[in-house]
Amino acid sequence: MTSQRHPRARRAGLALTLVSAFALTACAGDAQDVEPAADAAVTAQEAPSEVTVTHAQGETTVPVNPETVLTFDLATLDTLSELGVEVDGLPKSNLPGHLAEFDTDDVLDIGTLFEPDYEAVNAAEPDLIIVAGRSAEALPELEKIAPTIDLSNDWADFRGSVEANAEILGQVFDKEDEVAELVADLDADIEAAREVTAEAGTGLIVMTAGGEVTAYGPGSRFGFLHDELGMTPAIEDVEAATHGEAVSFEFLAEANPDWLVVIDRDAAVGESGAAAEQVLDNELVAGTTAWSQDQVVYVDSVDWYIVNGGLGTLSRMVDEISTALAG
Amino acid sequence: MTLAPARPTATPVTARPVRPAATPARGGRRTLFAAVATAVAVLSVVSLFVGVTDVTPAGVLAALTGADDGAAGLSDAGVLLVSRLPRTLAVLLAGSAMAVAGMLMQVLVRNRFVEPSTAGTVESAVLGILVVTIMAPGAPLMGKMGVAAVFALAGTALFLRILRAVPLRSVLVVPLIGLMLGGVISAATTFVAYRLDLLQSLGAWTTGDFSGVLRGRYELLWLTFVLTIVAYLAADRFTVAGMGREVATTLGLGYRGVLNLGLVIVSLVSAVVVVTVGVVPFLGLVVPNVVSRLLGDDVRRTAPWVALLGAGLVLVCDLIGRVVRYPYEVPVGVVVGVVGSVLFLYLLLRRDARVA
Repeated sequence: MTSQRHPRARRAGLALTLVSAFALTACAGDAQDVEPAADAAVTAQEAPSEVTVTHAQGETTVPVNPETVLTFDLATLDTLSELGVEVDGLPKSNLPGHLAEFDTDDVLDIGTLFEPDYEAVNAAEPDLIIVAGRSAEALPELEKIAPTIDLSNDWADFRGSVEANAEILGQVFDKEDEVAELVADLDADIEAAREVTAEAGTGLIVMTAGGEVTAYGPGSRFGFLHDELGMTPAIEDVEAATHGEAVSFEFLAEANPDWLVVIDRDAAVGESGAAAEQVLDNELVAGTTAWSQDQVVYVDSVDWYIVNGGLGTLSRMVDEISTALAG
Repeated sequence: MTLAPARPTATPVTARPVRPAATPARGGRRTLFAAVATAVAVLSVVSLFVGVTDVTPAGVLAALTGADDGAAGLSDAGVLLVSRLPRTLAVLLAGSAMAVAGMLMQVLVRNRFVEPSTAGTVESAVLGILVVTIMAPGAPLMGKMGVAAVFALAGTALFLRILRAVPLRSVLVVPLIGLMLGGVISAATTFVAYRLDLLQSLGAWTTGDFSGVLRGRYELLWLTFVLTIVAYLAADRFTVAGMGREVATTLGLGYRGVLNLGLVIVSLVSAVVVVTVGVVPFLGLVVPNVVSRLLGDDVRRTAPWVALLGAGLVLVCDLIGRVVRYPYEVPVGVVVGVVGSVLFLYLLLRRDARVA
């Protein structure tokens, strides 16, 4: 039991074993191994025509007006719903309220937002699969089953990518005019919102989760508030806050924004709607202009955090901000 | 290498009754303790003046004597009272309690590699929080803590149960069993959270972080202070219990009772800390090991050291977390994880390590 008995190498080995055991417990999840679909060659008999689209992971040739469409992306679902296109399969467990119409027996459940149920996808014999963001990594596997496109949003050009993705969908479903109309509406809404935000003063986007607060700046996933809607950022060091940074309440007090835009992540994924307000309701935040002037906007966290993209959702987000700020 | 409390002859890890102290005699140790205590006190004062809002001693004085506006309507003294003092106290309380809990666990299980997060205790507490969040999202903090504590107790009891059933117990097998048990429990937790889209909330709870600490949001941690005091008062019993069931019983100790008391303390401390600030990894492992190397295994003598160094280590890590990305924050759990694992590796690889 004394140390002399153990050679040094062995001790090192033991140490490494234990430490890697620590490390292992921290890891979770492993690659989903799935048999490549054998009959990828679903006989593309007399598809009317095809169109080649450029998406986030390259170019893919897809049939125009594909018959069986699966989407793992709620933003795409949102745009398709605006366009009146039917979808045959999607991750049903995460459907937000305004897309509940898709929760019918006619629509297949094909996994979660993050992880496709490859068996179900394969069985559906799809003509087109759409992934984005959370499911983007599944593209190589899904591609073996059917043409798959990645309509991920680009946070640095959020509005641009939402519109570009909508245009791709317009091409694929032969609804380019409808898309152009919707985009024009959205542009008009954004212009109108810019006038409101120009007068509103500074703003800060924060997300609350489990009692903690993260701040976001321009160029972040919620940055279109600054980038597109033109709200003046309340924090100067915007570089650091693009990915969401943990902040203290003192930080909020010091940033002292005129408007606080709050995304309640706990509400986005569960119930408990008042969680964010409870977290923020304290002596330090109370001193900010936003709080004392009652200029705290609790935005629809499902639109902002879960769907986050899509023509319908984006136009609702824009309305939400202009209504709140004009109110 | 085998360690079986049932056979005291097997020289269990912590069973060297009172390891002779490596450091100078009593007087020198007192002086050293005073020095370290002073250092922690100085750091605590520094901690009071580190933060996003510019708080200076002069400003506090000005605010106390006259009217002086600080950030967003709060004076320097106000920020100190609302934010800084609670945060510093929370750090000290959580740090000392987690370290002492780790020490108790090591004495009771008689293995130096065990602490609440390597024995399934912390993982069970997290599972408890998840269950409360799902069943009763609006439950008050005390309710959440209560459920977390019950889960932590059950998890620790299960660990001991499994341990008793394992015939061969090398020094490393014990914590590995704990890690595996913890892994199984957190796998279940993760699965449920994944199903219910609570994964990210789970992440927020489990990463130790003091950034949300304010007056009114940390007071539960004073409970850990009480528990630490109880642990100190019962220190001699724990020392005897650490010699193994037979020895303890022979010496007239109610072994079960002491064991249970220890487990309740460890579970409650884990639950309170997880509920209020999240998981602080490695702390309960590193600090007691360092202290034990210096001072031996007499709980009464080492407890104050463990508490002091635990508080100091977390304080330093929290200060680092506040400064490196200023004005943003790096969660203390991350910093302690890095610093702790380095210290831990050092302990394991040191030539004269007496841990195994």
